[in-house]
Amino acid sequence: MTLYDIIFYLFALVTISSAYLVVTVRNIVYSAFSLLFTLFGIAGLYALLGADFVAIVQLIVYVGGILILMIFGVMLTNKITNVQIKTGVFQILPATIGVGIFGGFLLAVLLNTNWLNLNVKDSPATTFQLGQLLMNEWVLPFELLGIVLLIALLGAASIARK
Amino acid sequence: MEAPLKYIFDSIQYLKPEVAVSIFLAILVTVDLVLGKKNKQVLPYIALAGLVITGYFVTQQFGTSAFASVQHNIGNFGLIAVDSFGNYFKLIIILSSIFIVLFSISSIEIKQVFDRHGEYYSLIFGMMLGMMLMVSSADLILIYLSIELVSLSSYVLAGFTKQSLRNSEASLKYIIYGGTASGIMLFGISILYGIMGTTNLYAINTILQNGAFQPLALIISCILIFTGFGFKISAAPFHFWTPDVYEGAPIAITAYLSIASKAAGFALLIRFIKVTFIQTIGEDGYWQLLGVIDWKSFLIMISILTMTLGNFSALWQDNLKRMLAYSSIAHAGYMLLGLAVFSDQGVMAILIYFLIYLFMNLGAFFVVMLIANKIGSEEIDEYDGIAYKTPLLAVSLAVFLISLTGLPPTAGFIAKLYLFIALVDAKMIAVAIIALLNTVVSLYYYIRVLKHMFLTKPKVEGERITIGIADTVVLLAMLIPIFLFGLYFTPIVNFAKNSIALLGF
Repeated sequence: MTLYDIIFYLFALVTISSAYLVVTVRNIVYSAFSLLFTLFGIAGLYALLGADFVAIVQLIVYVGGILILMIFGVMLTNKITNVQIKTGVFQILPATIGVGIFGGFLLAVLLNTNWLNLNVKDSPATTFQLGQLLMNEWVLPFELLGIVLLIALLGAASIARK
Repeated sequence: MEAPLKYIFDSIQYLKPEVAVSIFLAILVTVDLVLGKKNKQVLPYIALAGLVITGYFVTQQFGTSAFASVQHNIGNFGLIAVDSFGNYFKLIIILSSIFIVLFSISSIEIKQVFDRHGEYYSLIFGMMLGMMLMVSSADLILIYLSIELVSLSSYVLAGFTKQSLRNSEASLKYIIYGGTASGIMLFGISILYGIMGTTNLYAINTILQNGAFQPLALIISCILIFTGFGFKISAAPFHFWTPDVYEGAPIAITAYLSIASKAAGFALLIRFIKVTFIQTIGEDGYWQLLGVIDWKSFLIMISILTMTLGNFSALWQDNLKRMLAYSSIAHAGYMLLGLAVFSDQGVMAILIYFLIYLFMNLGAFFVVMLIANKIGSEEIDEYDGIAYKTPLLAVSLAVFLISLTGLPPTAGFIAKLYLFIALVDAKMIAVAIIALLNTVVSLYYYIRVLKHMFLTKPKVEGERITIGIADTVVLLAMLIPIFLFGLYFTPIVNFAKNSIALLGF
């Protein structure tokens, strides 16, 4: 096991365990804080995969922006800490069977597939290439994303208005 | 160094309809902002103008067959395939959008939220842009993005009026199911990328043609991707959202979801399967698929499940919107059979079916909406003896429902006829018989509405229901094609025959 592997498993452990806490913890503030570690762990995984720009964006936008806003929202909402969220488990048997079968298939795929391997350990910085691609070959999806965001804004405004 | 903006200038000639929709989306937002509260009644007419102009650009494009937004590093395949098949579906989407705008003008539900009309029409245009890209995209990233654009707009539109609990429930259920479905689809796409190294369908096809595939990962990823498509066309077992959302959403939006969104989903599914897995097309028009996945058995299974579930659940629905929701699930099942044939004839049957389905389903929803405008309900018991209060509406609804069943001399018969011909021609007799039996079952619940309208005496004597001139014209615009295409169907058959060509195949 190399140092790279150890760091990977560390980040993976942080991501998965905090994600588990997000859905099981009864207090919504704890839940929001666990989400912080989940998003942080994912940023670490991106960095390990050589996607430096995506990792930084993940940190700035999700960890730095969206999550802080969410925690503010939670904190400013009156009496929110006293609200008991339902975290019960329903239909345990069918869920176990379903998850078991699906997980088994995924595990089989994971082990039996000859994945394409990219050498990410010493890949160059991606920011410049990403910018070039987004303005050339991928300009159409990039522009489309702008419209998707506009629609999301319009929709959010429409839902929030009386 | 490449010329600046080269990629934009190279493809803009093929993207005129999409550009027109985006520009009108911007115009709608701006006009709504500038005009303020008073002059909102001008918005639907701007929307109509935009739709007509977009439709003009689409008809100009018929016959073109080219890639837009070309990727030079992966064998000159593009993100978007402009071809007759895509243009046919774009035309269906635009036609249904025109009707939906006309519906919205006379819908009481939509009138009540007068101050949010700007958002309403902008969201419809956003949804339309997404659907037009869905029917023509040839790249998994663009497919995901366009599906997401359609979904985001339709989540908001489904709960747009916010008048009742039912309405908000529809929106919330839709967003939860939809979010899960697109998450699963994205997971499938990521597995596919992990084994192929490209997201372009044509490039994946080239790799598969060379025989380099790993069945297990490919099958799992395709099933996961199918989840996303199946959700959009509401095929069983991904149909659970349909009745609740259709019942809760404003009727104009329900009609839109049942036609346009479904058409886009079908076009995407057909393109995905054909472009990715085709090996050769035989002289007789039958497709030879690569033997990686047994798509035929898979699709037949899904479609029989879909139509049977849809038809049998529709039997005991007392709400007309809910019944039409189950009926639209059943129709998706019939149309999936057209794909399962895997021949040009099957695709032609789907194209004919969709054009006719557009008129009959929109018509049924329009009548339900006009009646709901007056009596404020879609419950079947409220329709008792409604034929005496409004003969025109009752007779029109009867025609639309008979056409949905597929009886002559309505256009619905022609739609089913071509589908069954394609099935029999492919020697899928057993499947054709199951579909036929399903049609018989559907007869019961469609005719049940007629019984309530014409034969049952009303519990309370209500006043007559009258409709305005504009509504009558819109109604006739859907009623006349039902009879016209039922008797004189050569033009649409020829039109569909000329539109089955996908780019490259």
